[in-house]
Amino acid sequence: MANHQEATFEQQPMWAGGRSPFNVSYGKLMMWLFLLSDAFTFSSLLVQYGAQRFSNVQSPIVTKWPDPASIFNHFPWMHGLHLPLLFVSVMTFILIMSSVTMVLAVEAGHRKSKKEVVRYMIYTIIGGAMFLGCQAWEWSVFIGEGATLYGNQFGITEAGHKVFGALKFGDHFEWQPEYRTSGPVPFAALFFIVTGFHGFHVFSGVIINIVVTIMAARGVFDRRGHYEMIEKAGLYWHFVDLVWVFVFTFFYLI
Amino acid sequence: MEFYTKPGDYDAINYIPEAQSHGTKELWRTFWILLGITVLDFIIYFVMPHTGFRNFIFIFFGIVKAYYIVGAFMHMKYEKINLALVILVPTVFIIGLVMGLLYEGNALTYAK
Repeated sequence: MANHQEATFEQQPMWAGGRSPFNVSYGKLMMWLFLLSDAFTFSSLLVQYGAQRFSNVQSPIVTKWPDPASIFNHFPWMHGLHLPLLFVSVMTFILIMSSVTMVLAVEAGHRKSKKEVVRYMIYTIIGGAMFLGCQAWEWSVFIGEGATLYGNQFGITEAGHKVFGALKFGDHFEWQPEYRTSGPVPFAALFFIVTGFHGFHVFSGVIINIVVTIMAARGVFDRRGHYEMIEKAGLYWHFVDLVWVFVFTFFYLI
Repeated sequence: MEFYTKPGDYDAINYIPEAQSHGTKELWRTFWILLGITVLDFIIYFVMPHTGFRNFIFIFFGIVKAYYIVGAFMHMKYEKINLALVILVPTVFIIGLVMGLLYEGNALTYAK
């Protein structure tokens, strides 16, 4: 019976029902559709962010919206230096790296190599935990500077603009009270909501990866005869990486 | 040609296609491309003045990175075109909406 099915599967009429026209398993198709709906969720957050941010630009030079480089310019153990984008780039590197180890685990799963799957999954979990640690550090610094959900004191005054404009990468720099003023209210709230939503995805991804790794180590997938669960967890993990690409672009680069 | 006409001939819920490895060479190549584009982002951020054109470059690079993540890491290249279209067509419209509202946000400044 099994041979009969495999032999004629491709000859079945594609849309006549009774088979998947996508040639993927039910679980994987549902994961793809979940990711599509999750993409809509993140997109609606980014649409809100984009409309709020670009409706607060007055002229090309003076912007009421705080420049991300003036806020996210810290790096651990390098206090008082102006290092914009450096820390998030490290976070991006960690996430890309964990994506690579994830896809290597999926590839090892295709070869049904249990040992390699478990090893690469552990690397992926470590990468995800490192990313979460970085994000916790960044949040704590941001909150320590006075960020709240209800207000924004990160607007830059004319005096601040002059000092800040002359700043170079790696210069010593401390914000003085006269450089800053109130800015558009949703700035910090949007940052917390979008990076928090992404961080929560990373967190749940790490949990899923831990569960799947334990299952793999206990030989559950060997008994099933396929490692498709690793692929499904991998799809989710890569999606988290994909969302970070856009969070990185819209919150730090632009 | 034989078709499955009776219910239960073919189990759509428990069907798992045979997985095949495509090797690790392409994965590592994708990694280097992603890393290279991120480094390029970093360089452009400090070299170019902050203009709309620079924003466009960053969004374009983001879409290029998304192409490589979805295509190589998520194996979209090896899926059937049916599945790829179901996932990608709505996403293209959504990207258009995001970029459009970034642009139209400027007009809201004067409407507020």
